[in-house]
Amino acid sequence: MTSHLKHTNDTELQILLCGDEDSDEYRRTAAHVETCEACQKRLDTVAGPTQLDAETRELLSDYPWEALSNSRTGFQGTDGLPDQAESLTFLNPPSHPEMLGRLGRYEIERMIGSGGMGLVLKAFDTELNRPVAIKVLAQHLAHSGAARQRFARESRAVAAVVHEHVVAIHNVEADDQNPFLVMQYVAGESLQARVDREGPLDAKEVMRIGIQAASGLAAAHEQGVIHRDVKPANILLEQGVERILLTDFGLARTVDDASLTHTGIIAGTPHYMSPEQANGDTIDQRTDLFSLGSVLYFMATGRPPFRAERAMGVLNRVCHDTHRPVWQVNSDIPDDLSDIIDRLLEKKASRRFASAVEVRESLVRLLARTQQHGTRHRNRVKSFVRQRPFLSSGAIVCLASVIVAGFMFIPSSVERTRFRSIQPTEPVAPDNNISLAQQDQAIAAESAVYSATAQEISARLQQLEATSNAAQFAQPASDGFWQDSASFKVRLDQLERDTFRDSSISSTKEER
Amino acid sequence: MKSPVPDTRNSLILRLPDKHDVEAWDQFVSIYEPLVYRLARSKGLQDADAREVVQEVLVSVSRAIEQWEFDPERGRFRDWLFRIARNLMIKFMTRRKHRPIGTGDSGIAQMLEQHADPVSEEESERFDLEYRREVFRWAAEQVQEQVKERTWQAFWLSSIEGHQTEDVALKLEMSVGAIHIARSRIRSRLREAIKTLEQDNTENISSHNAR
Ligand SMILES: Nc1ncnc2c1ncn2[C@@H]1O[C@H](COP(=O)(O)OP(=O)(O)OP(=O)(O)O)[C@@H](O)[C@H]1O
Ligand SMILES: [Mg+2]
Ligand SMILES: [Zn+2]
Repeated sequence: MTSHLKHTNDTELQILLCGDEDSDEYRRTAAHVETCEACQKRLDTVAGPTQLDAETRELLSDYPWEALSNSRTGFQGTDGLPDQAESLTFLNPPSHPEMLGRLGRYEIERMIGSGGMGLVLKAFDTELNRPVAIKVLAQHLAHSGAARQRFARESRAVAAVVHEHVVAIHNVEADDQNPFLVMQYVAGESLQARVDREGPLDAKEVMRIGIQAASGLAAAHEQGVIHRDVKPANILLEQGVERILLTDFGLARTVDDASLTHTGIIAGTPHYMSPEQANGDTIDQRTDLFSLGSVLYFMATGRPPFRAERAMGVLNRVCHDTHRPVWQVNSDIPDDLSDIIDRLLEKKASRRFASAVEVRESLVRLLARTQQHGTRHRNRVKSFVRQRPFLSSGAIVCLASVIVAGFMFIPSSVERTRFRSIQPTEPVAPDNNISLAQQDQAIAAESAVYSATAQEISARLQQLEATSNAAQFAQPASDGFWQDSASFKVRLDQLERDTFRDSSISSTKEER
Repeated sequence: MKSPVPDTRNSLILRLPDKHDVEAWDQFVSIYEPLVYRLARSKGLQDADAREVVQEVLVSVSRAIEQWEFDPERGRFRDWLFRIARNLMIKFMTRRKHRPIGTGDSGIAQMLEQHADPVSEEESERFDLEYRREVFRWAAEQVQEQVKERTWQAFWLSSIEGHQTEDVALKLEMSVGAIHIARSRIRSRLREAIKTLEQDNTENISSHNAR
């Protein structure tokens, strides 16, 4: 029966189970076992109990595989953007030889550029006889149902914003599957390109562009549209005319949806993100004001306020570091402009300007004053004060949020302990077996304590409702940490120290 | 006015500096996406709504990750992640309407309203069964990628679809002995793959085994 004389040993059996099917030892061993029932039996035993086969069959034989592909809302394993040749395959052949291709009624002239979301093409609308810019969702995003829907939905919202400083959306269309956005073509360059080429702009230019950007944002905010991705690359400077246009309103969410399921890798630059965005907190219109502050900073100094080698480092600094004031980096920038930027860059949204309209008005007043009376600049004494990290509002805000976070844990832990100890007869259930009624009681008890604490805490709590609800059930019942409220104090102290240490370190770094 | 929306793009990268944690998240997503989707569909939601629920659950969990940092004593990230996700999901499935889960999404609110009964053992058992189904599906996908197509076919046709070994051997032009080897090979690998999740997440698997 056996073609080879020797039976296999355990190591060889392991090779059959785990080894490389193309290796010589695998083939050699397989050749024997294929024809040796004794060795097959042993292999079968080593492979584990056969009930697993039965269970696999029970669970997978009628698995709904079609539902699987539907459920995958994110894109699978796509890294980086496709190259141009591949990425233009969706185009139909052109009707003129000098064109790249056709998309519906649009003749594609050339590719203008690409970003985190897809390609921007220059095209000609053959029906209305005008040049247009077309934004096509990148292939990897087009595969995501959620991203596609969001793209279309948000684009329509933006289309409602009609303003001289907002790029007009002509149309949202779809070719087979891929949605694309037809918009006003802006001949010129982006603010990013301009500053890269020419370096920092002068103060009046910063104000002029700032005023236009703020009024574009104000118009959008009035319609309930948040930009979410204000940055120099999304500010277009029209050639020959002194006019800027904001583009890419609201589209950042398209990328969010897809990348969420792909470990949250950032597409595009994180430099202009607000702390609340970086933290994944709830955002409102004031996120755009922070980003606008970063853009003004960039125009005035030639670089964004927070820099680091890696994206994560940038975001950490956005959340925790105090920027170096503009007037220290570029002494040509007047104090008042530097102060406006500081206020836009407040970590806490409530400390920023209340609206884009307010920003616009402040800048208009400042520009008028500058043109009439010139500018004011700080002397050295002030500069000394300004450099103390402990006086920086950022550090204080950070500390406050740490303390708030600390408070959030104290009542919840105390309540948990009490809740457990008054019901000693209850069988000790593993956490995931706590009944809903118990969960609800615990939540009710917690919220009673919460409502007694300061307003700020409860506001923050509301934001984190989903978070705390979820996390509350995650602690193992035996977790000694939660029984010991003294350790909170220790922990809080440590956090406090860390916060101050971090912020002083980073601001020293920033001075260099 | 639009209501404020959570921005999830960067929370994860901030919260998961550790490569293993990122892997755990990936694994979590590949199990939970279809799991949540199927559960939502079985509650009568349409495709688009079910996808929204998937997004919302992932968003909720990713937001919960904010709290992860505060208490490393909780154990490993992976354990914690699967534990909160399970609890969150069972709550999604059973929560009463007057206390929404906090994301305020209409799709979820709707789903919750339609199923206002108090938590039942049934729901959590059903969850555990469907969870285990996804674990096996996930493991099967991992293993399928690691072996030759023919080896996988041999296993699938005989062990899952229940065809006679001789017929499968004939169809795949393999010897009967080779089919036996293939079946052992796949079983052992499935077991290994499932174990990687089991170790980290004992309660979900073991509670089901006790069935
Ligand atoms: N309406 C338009 N008219 C002319 N050029 C445009 C228009 N919209 C965008 N562009 C240019 O197309 C290029 C690509 O833009 P895109 O928005 O894809 O990338 P981005 O802004 O760098 O990154 P992101 O995708 O994050 O917005 C940019 O150089 C931009 O200046
Ligand atoms: Mg752009
Ligand atoms: Zn033998």
